[in-house]
Amino acid sequence: MWAALQHAEWVTILATSRWLYGLVSVVHYVALFSCIGTIVLLDLRILGVAERNQALPAFAEQLRPWTWIGAGAAVISGFLLFATEAADYAAVTPFHVKMLIVALALISALAIEWRVPKWNRAPVIPVTAKFLALISIALWLGAVLAAVEIGPLTGLG
Amino acid sequence: MHDAVLACSRWLENTPWGVTVRDSAWMSPVIQWMHFVGLSMWLGTTFSVDLRLMGVGKRRQTAAELSNGLFAWNWIGFGVAVLGGFLSFSAEATTYVQNTGFCLKLAVLTPVALIWHVVVQKNIGVWTRTEQSSAIGKRAGLIEFLLWISVVAASVAFLLTNAVTHP
Repeated sequence: MWAALQHAEWVTILATSRWLYGLVSVVHYVALFSCIGTIVLLDLRILGVAERNQALPAFAEQLRPWTWIGAGAAVISGFLLFATEAADYAAVTPFHVKMLIVALALISALAIEWRVPKWNRAPVIPVTAKFLALISIALWLGAVLAAVEIGPLTGLG
Repeated sequence: MHDAVLACSRWLENTPWGVTVRDSAWMSPVIQWMHFVGLSMWLGTTFSVDLRLMGVGKRRQTAAELSNGLFAWNWIGFGVAVLGGFLSFSAEATTYVQNTGFCLKLAVLTPVALIWHVVVQKNIGVWTRTEQSSAIGKRAGLIEFLLWISVVAASVAFLLTNAVTHP
């Protein structure tokens, strides 16, 4: 299945064109920096170390579009980059680890977004919220680490 | 000029930290990780402010309030990104400086984008006295947004063509 994807005509066009591949890479980097940066900022706000002058739901709302547009663009561009070496990526453990951590990190980000209005009604931000925010930060740090280790460990990318 | 740059690069490669990073099996990816983590904070905060200045997206705060609120994490991210970038540059300086994308990024695009960033940060209060940013503020935000994307583009061009990752 992954080999078929890798050898699909549109994928070979992407893989052999430096300009197209570069363009998709630029989208991937810009999107993931926006996505991860804004998620971690919200986590830091929940932990009480960023933007304390701004109410939590308002700050979450301000960042939300950039988090999720970034996430969508990063997933699509990431899939395109994956497709160019699909069979190879699908076969190696570091890539599986990266995908697992990214999935968990996105789920934690969704959970946090969903709970923000409730946490705001409490007199102080609950400990569970701070705990989730810490987990979210750790997951994103892990996701980026897994991503940069794929090259050295497997020779891919 | 060219000789001076190469001499500086050679000096950097022979600094204790340059040698340590180059000879280590595990440090290079960790330093790259640092660079990316710093960039996420730097660009996450910078883009949020630029887009707000442009009037795109939600308007729960003015661009000036957002810029002030994110100021500390903005520059923490910058510091982390620069430290990571400097360390990986030190390890392979003579190879990096021979790459056009890298030279463009380090010598032209990053300094211009950085100066522009400081100008925006200093003037944002003037440009956003009301809920709406002024016309000049909107343009300044758009220009900064595009400048940082051009920095990323030059970095990608470098990553796809440099002799270290693509021998």
